[in-house]
Amino acid sequence: MTSNTTARDTAQSTAERLRVAGLHAPTDAVLSVRDLNVRFNTENGVVHAVRGIDFDVLPGKTLGIVGESGSGKSVTSMAIMGLLPPTAEISGSVRLKGKELLGLSDKAMCNYRGNDLAMVFQDPLSSLTPVYTVGTQIVEALTVHNPTMSKQAKEARAVELLGLVGIPSPKDRLKAFPHEFSGGMRQRVMIAIAIANDPRVLIADEPTTALDVTIQAQVLEVLHAAQEETGAAVVMITHDLGVVAGMADDIMVMYAGRPVETGSVDDIYYSPRMPYTMGLLGAVPRVDVAEKTSLVPIEGIPPNLTNPPTGCSFAPRCPLASEACLDGEPDLRTVVPGTEHRAACIKSEALADVDAHAVFAAPAVPVSRFDRLPRHERKTVLELRDVKKHFPLMKGALLKRRIGTVKAVDGLSFDIREGECFSIVGESGCGKTTTLLEIMEFHKDQDGEVVIGGLSNKHAADAKAKGAMRRELQMVFQDPTGALDPRFTVYEVLAEPMENLGMSRPAIRKRIMELMELVGLQADHVNRFPNQFSGGQRQRIGIARALAVNPRLVVLDEPVSALDVSVQAGVINLLDKLRAELGLSYLMVAHDLSVVRHISNRVAVMYLGKIVEIGDVDAVFDNPRHPYTRALLSAIPVPDPELERTRERIILQGDLPSPLEAPAGCNFATRCPVFAALPPAKQEKCLTLEPVLEPAATDQQFACFYPDGELDADMVVVHENH
Amino acid sequence: MTNLNTIDPAAVLDEGKIESDDVVIGKSRIILRRFLRNRTAVAGLVIFLSLTLLSFIGGFFSSWDKETIDPFNIGVPPSAEHLLGTSQAGIDLYALTVEGTRVSILIGVVVGLVSVLIAAVYGCTMAYFGRKVDKVMLFILEALIMMPALLVVAVATSGGANGLKNAVPSWLLLIIVLLVFSWMGTARLIRSLSLSLMQRDFVKAAQYMGIPPRRIVWRHLVPNIGSLLVLEVTRGVTGAILAEVAFSFIGIGIKVPDVSLGVLIGQSTSQVSTFPWMFWAPLIVMFLLTGSLAMMNDGLRDAFDPSSSSVGRAKRSNARTGKTLTGKTQKKNK
Repeated sequence: MTSNTTARDTAQSTAERLRVAGLHAPTDAVLSVRDLNVRFNTENGVVHAVRGIDFDVLPGKTLGIVGESGSGKSVTSMAIMGLLPPTAEISGSVRLKGKELLGLSDKAMCNYRGNDLAMVFQDPLSSLTPVYTVGTQIVEALTVHNPTMSKQAKEARAVELLGLVGIPSPKDRLKAFPHEFSGGMRQRVMIAIAIANDPRVLIADEPTTALDVTIQAQVLEVLHAAQEETGAAVVMITHDLGVVAGMADDIMVMYAGRPVETGSVDDIYYSPRMPYTMGLLGAVPRVDVAEKTSLVPIEGIPPNLTNPPTGCSFAPRCPLASEACLDGEPDLRTVVPGTEHRAACIKSEALADVDAHAVFAAPAVPVSRFDRLPRHERKTVLELRDVKKHFPLMKGALLKRRIGTVKAVDGLSFDIREGECFSIVGESGCGKTTTLLEIMEFHKDQDGEVVIGGLSNKHAADAKAKGAMRRELQMVFQDPTGALDPRFTVYEVLAEPMENLGMSRPAIRKRIMELMELVGLQADHVNRFPNQFSGGQRQRIGIARALAVNPRLVVLDEPVSALDVSVQAGVINLLDKLRAELGLSYLMVAHDLSVVRHISNRVAVMYLGKIVEIGDVDAVFDNPRHPYTRALLSAIPVPDPELERTRERIILQGDLPSPLEAPAGCNFATRCPVFAALPPAKQEKCLTLEPVLEPAATDQQFACFYPDGELDADMVVVHENH
Repeated sequence: MTNLNTIDPAAVLDEGKIESDDVVIGKSRIILRRFLRNRTAVAGLVIFLSLTLLSFIGGFFSSWDKETIDPFNIGVPPSAEHLLGTSQAGIDLYALTVEGTRVSILIGVVVGLVSVLIAAVYGCTMAYFGRKVDKVMLFILEALIMMPALLVVAVATSGGANGLKNAVPSWLLLIIVLLVFSWMGTARLIRSLSLSLMQRDFVKAAQYMGIPPRRIVWRHLVPNIGSLLVLEVTRGVTGAILAEVAFSFIGIGIKVPDVSLGVLIGQSTSQVSTFPWMFWAPLIVMFLLTGSLAMMNDGLRDAFDPSSSSVGRAKRSNARTGKTLTGKTQKKNK
């Protein structure tokens, strides 16, 4: 991001600034945004969502815009594309190759959209029209901007584009409908449509947030290839500092509608000068670090933008805030003379060598009373023995006949001891959630045995035993908003499980006050409704509800994946603290391996309903034996640009096979990088025999015949272009 | 079970604090504001309320009542003595219209409210239990939809049920019959809405806590379709008024000596050209009733639909330059 180098004087009027910017703007910037302001009307008054953004993007370069939700990232991208509703008020200047875009009519904007300016949206499931084939939709993008192009030429171009984004046999897939594609494939099609007309600027709004890690790695790779092919400038909007670390050249950190720190990737990641950036970086758990430290939580919530901030907008949440910070909003100022690294903090000079953990006073790592006991001496809280869940697949309208079986969970056995956190990881569709549901179901007719706190589903599944089991086992849901009844106050939410157990009213009241304190909420907030809380606070309410009846085991279904990074850190720290203080055990399902590594003691990797590797979290993550575990781990982006550039990535081909097509032998053979490199004689074994879990170390088991096999060279990618 | 809905004074105080906090606005207040922003809807509400009021106190403004015959003024047009004229029997038409309006509104409101309540409980129960319960209940529902309502109304209010007829007034009988045939469509709508609510995590959470199904339906499902219920009530009221008018018009609904708008309209249709006031007065009242409800419905939908654009726009004013703060301090909406 090279901005005009004239020193930005606060006293200068905006108009003059714009003129200067226009005159001195580097001619090679394809997209330059100056003083962009966006206002919306809400029931609470006018919200000033974006407050003065300036940036330039050069061709072939990538700008990453990072910030938590509500910081104005997406609004900025929509304003550039001209996609905001007419009720929004936009001012400032957006120039594409020197031409002003703001103020153009919707019709005039259509000449730019999809042509010079293209966008990839977050949710690939809803951004393609379900009633047209993929080919029609690509051709449509071509037709709109190239009316003279012949039909054959358009089709040829569509095939070329699909091939470019890595869709196998593109010619046949042209006639496929979106529902025949998986999420990752659809996102590739979206990228193909976006680059169809060789755009100069490609805006990607959280392009991989909705996807699995392995698919995320594939899509990032495609995005990279697309950029190289078209030479477009890419604006990448994300909340995940890991994703941009390897992609972006420059970073802009946004907070409360303004950029608070801008600079090159290395500047931002290795010497952040704004407490907010430092907090964000410290809040991300690392998948490659075994040493356990608490995460940096950023307390509080972003300011309400209906009232213009009078001081630094981050001051209320900043541990370093002083009187001076409340006096006027600081402007972006150059931190190191001669570089483009700028921060909006009056103390940025003093922050040169400060550790985020020290700044934000990260809590000490809590120690549980069970941590000292060796694992085999602790009591078993939950045990699964050969649990299976098969769904019959039926076909036919009148006479249904069974055409196959979906083995969602296929012979799962594990146990959880007191005071430990056990995690199940895997791509979506691997049976993680079904496993949880099987445990929560606790029914006599289940295939396999579930033992919860000594109660087996085979022997005691009457109402009384179920009641006792519910007291042992509670659940925290993924989406805190959906898990709380919007019509209940916090008091009612927390009282519900206790009322059900027939506790007296004063006892419930007392317990609720205890719970509120335990999860770090203010006791006088019990009469509020869930929508009056932020996402992190809502998840705390969800956790408090789960703890209300004093369970011994808490099932966590992706407890932090719906939360912002800064908030996520607070919730993870809370879960850690509760485990230590109350001696809880957790069964967690998550797709974010960094979170899993941070919080768990043991981990199981699932693939198509089976555990492929299980064991101590450090053993599995530091020395993965199964090729699938290795691929998963290599796909996780790490918030460290240096490491990201040189890291070897295993890009798995394709998606999770449909359970119908599951091979007879090893499930993973269709995508396995080791299998692909094996000589045919050895491949035979993988295809016919089913590998069983065998011990590797003291607490590590894996299911693979050739754990030390060579990886197929085609599936390993190392970036060396930087 | 302890009742959590009893009002705790401390809670009320705190609630007040939240309400006055400009960041957090109570949902009811947002809905009220949005509703008030729709002028047509407010006009509709005012018309409906004043008609209701008139139907109750209107009798006091006239010295005539609906039974007294004025032998000197039979079938006269509106005059100072008889505001809306008299009927062929010499009864004051104003008194008749007021009485008829009251009966029509009563039937409409009772049928609208009760049928939605039945539909809510029935639909939610169907959705919650699913499987066999759903199938059986759906069958009953479909069977009722197939039933020829017109015939049943005709039989119930005339010939076949003489004993019943003597025991209950004809308006009550009509209410019961209308109720039986008016809730099915809404129930199906509520069933499908509840089915999607069932997928929400808070219902699952309640199930995993071991909350009995009856309580889940009543405490989690019904309140969460509340906004739809309000819309359905206004729609139901309109439907019931129209049904009453239609049935009475063809002579199978309300029976003389009871009056309703439908009866009045029905009696006068044959002599529109000779005695036009007898026809137009009740007809205009009926239009005002159903029209005002339709106007309100539009505003209610605006108010309850979170995606509606009734929020108003950020005014283009002097907020053009980023530095002046006047743009931000301006009041929202028009």
